[in-house]
Amino acid sequence: MNLINSIFKICGATGKKFLKFLSNIGHFFIFFITAIFWIFRPPWYFKKIFYQIIDIGYFSLPVVGLTTFFSGMVLALQTYNGFSDLNNETTVARVVLTSITRELGPVLTGLMVAGRIGAKMAAEIATMRVTEQIDALGTLGTRPLQYLIAPKIIASLICVPVLVLLGNTIGILGGYIIAIFKLEFNPSIYLYATVEYLQWIDIIQGTVKAAIFGLIISMVSCYFGFNATKGAEGVGYATTASVVISSVMILTSTYIITALFFG
Amino acid sequence: MENKLNKKIIIEVKNLTKSFNETMVLNDINFRLFEGESLAIIGASGSGKSVLLKNIIGLLSPDKGSIKINNVEMVDLKRSVKEKILLDLGITFQQGALFDSLQNWENIVFKVKNKEKLTVKDAKELALSIIRRLGLNSEILELYPSEISGGMQKRVAIARAICGNPKVLLFDEPTSGLDPVTGSLIDKLIKSTVKTVGGSAITITHDMASVCRIADKVILIDKQTISWSGTPQEMLKSDNEKIKDFIKSTNPKLFF
Repeated sequence: MNLINSIFKICGATGKKFLKFLSNIGHFFIFFITAIFWIFRPPWYFKKIFYQIIDIGYFSLPVVGLTTFFSGMVLALQTYNGFSDLNNETTVARVVLTSITRELGPVLTGLMVAGRIGAKMAAEIATMRVTEQIDALGTLGTRPLQYLIAPKIIASLICVPVLVLLGNTIGILGGYIIAIFKLEFNPSIYLYATVEYLQWIDIIQGTVKAAIFGLIISMVSCYFGFNATKGAEGVGYATTASVVISSVMILTSTYIITALFFG
Repeated sequence: MENKLNKKIIIEVKNLTKSFNETMVLNDINFRLFEGESLAIIGASGSGKSVLLKNIIGLLSPDKGSIKINNVEMVDLKRSVKEKILLDLGITFQQGALFDSLQNWENIVFKVKNKEKLTVKDAKELALSIIRRLGLNSEILELYPSEISGGMQKRVAIARAICGNPKVLLFDEPTSGLDPVTGSLIDKLIKSTVKTVGGSAITITHDMASVCRIADKVILIDKQTISWSGTPQEMLKSDNEKIKDFIKSTNPKLFF
C-alpha cells in the first residue's frame, strides 16, 4: 500500500512539474508575441534604442573580439597538429574560415552576449519588477513592454549580427597570425586560400544565426526579468535562468539552423 | 453619479474579494470616495491595504466585485481605456518606485513630459516648482534616485504623483521612513493638494498622527474586511480593539 502511495505521489509531483513547464512555455509564447507586436507600434523610443545599441554592441566588442581571436588562434594550431599529413596553407585556412564563419563565430558571440548582456537585461528588469518600477510605469501612461522590452529586442537584433561579423573577422585574423608567425606559412597563399573559400552562404547563415541568437537572448532575459518575484532571490533566479536558458537555446538552435542550411 | 448630499462619487468599490491561491486577502470590501474627500485606510501589516490599492489601479484583478472610477467600471475594462483613466490619477507606491536610470527631474515630470511634450527647460522648471513645495532643494534634480536619501526619494515619488495636478491621489504609506517634521510637511501637502485642486485622496498609512492630520474619513481593514469606518474624531473615541491598539501606539491628540 505504501509503495502504491509513493508511486502516486511521484506521478503526481511529476505531472504537476510537467504542467507547470507547459504553462511556462505558454506564458513565454504569449510574452514573445506581445513583445513582437510592440516592436512595430509607435512611439519608438529611439534614445533608449541608441543606448542599448551602445551597451550591447560597442561594450560587448572587447569580450567578443578576445574570444573569437583566441578561438581562431587555437583552431589554426589544432588543425595544424590534427591534420599533420595534410599540413598546408589551404587546409588550415579552410578549416579556420569554415569553422569560424559557420559555427564558432556566431555561437561564441551568442554565448558571450548571453552572459554579459542577457544577465544584465534580466537583472535590470527583475529589479524594476520587484521594486514596483514596472507597476509605476503602467500607471504613468507608458507601456512597460514598449518602453523597456522593445528597445532591447530591436538593439539585440541589430547588434548581435554586427558583432558576429566583426567576431568572424577577428577570429580569422587570429588564425592568420598563428599560421604566419608560428606555423610559418606563406602569407599570400594563406590569404588567397581564405578569400577563395569564403562563401556567401556561410556569411548569410552566420548572420541569420546571429539575428536569431539576438532574439533568443533578449526575449529570454526580458521574460525572466519581467516575471521575477520574491525580491532579491527572484532577481538572482531571473539572472541565472536567463543565462542558462539562453545558452541552451543558442546551442540547440544552432544545430537546427545548420541542418536547415546545409542538412 | 452623486449621493444624497450631491457630492460626486470619485471611487466606488463594491463587494471586492481577492485571494492569492487559496489565501483570501480581501473579502467583501465596500466603500466610496467622494469628491474633495481625503480617505485614510489603516490596518496591520499584511492586512491587504496595498492589495486593495493595486486592485483599484488595475495592477491586480479582483476575484469578485466592482471598482468604479468616475463612474467607469474598471474591472475587465479594455487596457487602453484603463490607461487613460489612470493618467488622471497621481499614485505613489510603498517603495517609491522611482526609475533608477532617470534623474530625479525626469522622474518627476515623466508622465507630464510625455503627455504635454515639454521642452527640457520647461520640464526642469516644473519639477523645481514642485520639489520646492516638498522642502527639497534644486540640487537633487540632476541627481539619480540612488544618490539621495530614502526620505528624499519618498518626496520625489510624491512630487511625481502630484505633478500635473491630478484630481485623484492615491498614496501607499507616503510618510513611512520619514522624520516627523518631513512627515508633517507631506501630510500638509496632501491636505493642501486635495483642497487646492478640489481633488480626492486615498492614503494608506500606519501613522495615526498622519491619519488625524489628513483624513476626513478613516477605514480599518482587519481580517480581510472593513471592520470599522468613521471620522478621525470618531476613531479616537472608538471602542474597536484594533483601533484602540493603533491609537495606543501614538497619541494623535497631540497632532490636532
